[in-house]
Amino acid sequence: MARPTSNGLVQAFQALRLHSSSTSRPVTRCLARQTRTYATEVEGQPSALETQEQAPAAPEIDFTNFARRPARIVPASPSYFSGSPRFIDHVLQLEQLQAKYASLPTVAAGDAPRMAWFKLAQFRDYVGEPVPMKKYKSLVKILQRLNRIQPEMVPGEVRNTLEEFLRPGNPYAVQHVPRTVDENGRARAKGKRKESTAVVQLVEGEGEVLVNGKSLVEAFQRVHDRESALWALRCTQRLDKYNAWITVRGGGVTGQAEAITLAIGRALLLHEPALKPVLRKAGVITVDARRVERKKPGHVKARKMPTWVKR
Amino acid sequence: MASSWCWSCLSRLRAPSTPRAILPPQSITPRLTTASFHSSAVQYANPTKKKGALVAVKYRQGQTLRRKKKKTTERARPPAVGERKALRKRIVLSNPNALEVEGMQDLSSETMIDARLRGSVLGLPVPMLDQLRAVQAFKPKQGWSIFRRPATVLRRDTLEMARLFEKISGEGDAAEKGKVVKKIITGLKGSGKTVHLLQAMAMGFLKKWVVVTVPDARELVSGDTSYSPIEGTNPPQYVQPNAVSALLMRTVEANRQVLSGLKVSQKHTGLPSLKPSSTLEDLAKLGFQDAAVAWPVFQALWTELTATAAAPGMEKDFKARPPMLVTVDGIAHWMKESAYRASDFTPVHAHDLVFVKHFLSLLQNGQASLKNGGMVLYATSTSNNPSIYTLEVALDQLAARQAGTSPSSPEYPSPEAYSGADARVLDLFKPTTGKEPQFELQTLGGLTRDEARGYLEYFARSGLLREEVNETWVGEKWSLSGGGIIGELEKLGRHVRTAAQTTPVLN
Repeated sequence: MARPTSNGLVQAFQALRLHSSSTSRPVTRCLARQTRTYATEVEGQPSALETQEQAPAAPEIDFTNFARRPARIVPASPSYFSGSPRFIDHVLQLEQLQAKYASLPTVAAGDAPRMAWFKLAQFRDYVGEPVPMKKYKSLVKILQRLNRIQPEMVPGEVRNTLEEFLRPGNPYAVQHVPRTVDENGRARAKGKRKESTAVVQLVEGEGEVLVNGKSLVEAFQRVHDRESALWALRCTQRLDKYNAWITVRGGGVTGQAEAITLAIGRALLLHEPALKPVLRKAGVITVDARRVERKKPGHVKARKMPTWVKR
Repeated sequence: MASSWCWSCLSRLRAPSTPRAILPPQSITPRLTTASFHSSAVQYANPTKKKGALVAVKYRQGQTLRRKKKKTTERARPPAVGERKALRKRIVLSNPNALEVEGMQDLSSETMIDARLRGSVLGLPVPMLDQLRAVQAFKPKQGWSIFRRPATVLRRDTLEMARLFEKISGEGDAAEKGKVVKKIITGLKGSGKTVHLLQAMAMGFLKKWVVVTVPDARELVSGDTSYSPIEGTNPPQYVQPNAVSALLMRTVEANRQVLSGLKVSQKHTGLPSLKPSSTLEDLAKLGFQDAAVAWPVFQALWTELTATAAAPGMEKDFKARPPMLVTVDGIAHWMKESAYRASDFTPVHAHDLVFVKHFLSLLQNGQASLKNGGMVLYATSTSNNPSIYTLEVALDQLAARQAGTSPSSPEYPSPEAYSGADARVLDLFKPTTGKEPQFELQTLGGLTRDEARGYLEYFARSGLLREEVNETWVGEKWSLSGGGIIGELEKLGRHVRTAAQTTPVLN
């Protein structure tokens, strides 16, 4: 009926005023005959309808409907007043599923399909609640239990629920392609140490080595560095059986030499995978992931504190 | 002030044993353990500790910090002037502790061309060592001092050079008497450039050639020897009399046998003191007795050595002149401005020094100059080496020409624009014209595996290397030395123990 415009409100007030000053007129009528007027305008001639009309009575209370409309708003989830309702809802839902399908046969944990569940941070984003690590672990346990249901017999309900908890992008779908020696007999491998990165192309040959287009002697003046660069070949006595073509960037001399060690070791494994235990023993396979520790504010270096000075 | 007597126990609170007047000021008196007004028995208290510093105060002495003076230890007197340099430049050619290598052959006219001996180490003939020393063929850090006697490897480049020597001397099958071979020798550090020159000198002595050497090109341009402009030259040329004199001395010392057998055959108007019957040795001696005439004497000696026939009237005892070997080590120093200054203090280019120019011109007109044939070997150096862009470009051009790239083709290397390339250097390395043979670039690489094995066996047989020299071991060292770079092989060979042993974990 009455549009909630200022105009309407003004009219209503005017109607009330008129009603009190002159003969009583039913407000409803006035509102019914509503026309667009200015606020200063006096309502036109009193309408001809001067018959007294009764305001309609309130409808009868329908007690059947009454029960559905509670006096206060009730939250949708019963766990609304816990700290993390959405999380608890998820747990409850999963527990319910677990109980429901507890009788289904399961497979061993190792045979279950590999699933990339949400990481904790991702799950916190997903539910929007600060979920503690421990509680999330318990949830993952239920997920894993549900995942162990024999794959042929997994109900659609369970499958759909489990999919909600998977990381996007499905990391386990990407198949790792094992590197091999290419059609020209080159094995290509990378190695890193400190700030250096080395790329080695290893082919069968006479034991010739080129580092960045230079000979080994030009690249590494110290005999020690040369030995450590070729250590993988030397400790397997393959020094005269392969040629190496090496590109190495970044870092210092030692770092470059040891990056080459790692790269040659990996490239050699492509040619002769059986050498792995030997190379492991020679310390060629193990990656040294240490990097320079960052400097901290208030410290002179990474850990060193300024000298204590009295006053 | 409160009384010094405690009223309750009648004990003396303060016990000044000394009169008050000479007490030190209040601030430095030892503080009593009790307050002055306190009345407990001070006698029963522990005696106050005397502080060392305060006790030690003496009134007639300064209060400042005193340190003990360091004792001046008697040091040995520093070595005399020139002694350190002499020690640094000392050349030791023998080590009595090293084993004598049995069955080692000497370098001779036969062995040096014997391809079967390739990879074996040949000793330098002992009588020749003095000659080689005279021409300063040995350098201090070449490791001669660890072996019983000096010896060198017969590698492929050596054999090729030996064949050239044979040809030019007019022996062998394909004799080319009177030919001049000009080479610029480059290579990595430690690849044996200087020793290659040494082998050339040894062969020259064996073949009775005249050997003229500049053992260190740097000495001529570093401003160490005297220089003077030559009158009437424009642009001014400079002569270095003392350097010329030293070269004459070296040449006479080393080639005395050859030079004393040759008589003067030309007329030298500039040298009135020269008798017509004197030998070339006498001629050269004039130069190093008086440095002022060293340059004319050198020119006279050069014309004598390159003469093909005697001047009219002097044919009496003319003998054919032998071929000449000219070697220069460290040629890069001659491709830049020298340390000498002209009268207007502008630097003098090395090519303006006539002595330097004389040797460099042999690249362009070697055949014309050395009429009796010979060899011109100029080696670069990597240990004491100025970096000269133009020389790099020039050597690249030389290599490209040798590989068959025509100088007009776009692939032919040329100096970058605005790089300030030295036109004189580029001119020097331009291809020769006319009948003059081209000069070659010879890049020394590493030894082959077989040669490396022979070399390392020599270490083992000298008692320096105590390991079994077998195929795998040599192969390993060959790779570690960057493909048989001989200087690196020497380092590996002379190590008592070369790093960790190969782990026999395989199988």
